[in-house]
Amino acid sequence: MYEAVAAYPNGDTTVSRYAATASRYGFSGIVVRTREAEFDREAIYDRFGVDVVRGIEIDADSPDSASGSIGNFRRSATILAVNGGTNALNRFAVEQDRVDVLTQPMQNNGDFNHVLARAAKEHGVRVEFDFGPAFRQTGGHRVQSLQSLRKLRELVLQYDTPYVVSNRAESHRHLRAPREFFAVGEAIGFSKEMIEQGLSEWERLAGRNRERMAESFIAPGVKCGRYEEDS
Amino acid sequence: MKHLPKHFRQRWRYIAVGIETDPDTDIRRKDLQRELWYSAGNLLGDPGSADVDLTVYSCRFEDGVGEAVIRTRREETDRARAAIACVSRVSGTAVGIHVRGISGTVRACEERYLGRAAGISEENDVAFANGRHPAYRRDGLVEIQLPSGFVGATELDIEY
Repeated sequence: MYEAVAAYPNGDTTVSRYAATASRYGFSGIVVRTREAEFDREAIYDRFGVDVVRGIEIDADSPDSASGSIGNFRRSATILAVNGGTNALNRFAVEQDRVDVLTQPMQNNGDFNHVLARAAKEHGVRVEFDFGPAFRQTGGHRVQSLQSLRKLRELVLQYDTPYVVSNRAESHRHLRAPREFFAVGEAIGFSKEMIEQGLSEWERLAGRNRERMAESFIAPGVKCGRYEEDS
Repeated sequence: MKHLPKHFRQRWRYIAVGIETDPDTDIRRKDLQRELWYSAGNLLGDPGSADVDLTVYSCRFEDGVGEAVIRTRREETDRARAAIACVSRVSGTAVGIHVRGISGTVRACEERYLGRAAGISEENDVAFANGRHPAYRRDGLVEIQLPSGFVGATELDIEY
């Protein structure tokens, strides 16, 4: 299971510290949302046994500028996410094959519906369940966030949309272990299997994209190299 | 009052948690207890909060890291874990909190899961982000004090 985090300079914690905490908590990897974050993937893996995935989360005002950023950064990031939150951005993101994850679709005035859920499935865009408010907020804001999570969950289950789960940590102190995710998820109406699927989806995405970005890759099922031995 | 017959007594579980926060912050038992009750009340409501109980038994804290034993009813460990996970701040400071394990007795809980916190071994200036900043080091982990607040790092991030 992997978790996706915002690292220094966007967060209060460096990538390696996240890795140290994640390894104690039982995660096998982390996805870094911050483009500017610096890290040495191999040194971190040797030290903490945690896989670090280079990601980017595009935070744009409009679909036009998001589209430009996708073109610029798609090649440099293993996982590319678009931060949603307006109807125009949500609509744009779920219709892009080049986008891996639509994050925070329900924040601010954003909304999600059956049309977007179908489009996300068709284009293989994962929708993010943002557990941050469930862990870190109280009162009315949390109530609204839980309502949004519920609506999103019902749509995702109905239309079989792919999804990821994260609590959007901005510091290693925001990280919570997978079992804590299961417990909180069950308290707010998710099944344990669903949370596990959502946390593991980051790992599957990273594996798939690394394979695609490898030089030997030509198209799904086609690659450069020697013939496979007949079994 | 005469105590209950043994088969009728409440069965408890003891949850060992590790806590970390800023190195210059101290957390006392009653602060943690208050946040746990708030968290349980907010997440589970009053009836749920009464069911999970969440009494802090022991709480040791030093130099920004600590550990505690929290009691809950045997049937409620999952909900207790959820309420503990939702403690995000204690006395206004962000805390990391992690359930290390659950035991049937306080003694087993302490022997198996507690006693790991390493104190701060060194305080000195380190090079980080184009400058030198005061930092606290513990067990390969480094808390660097920038003007904006503490940044969590490890020895891999700093230059000597």
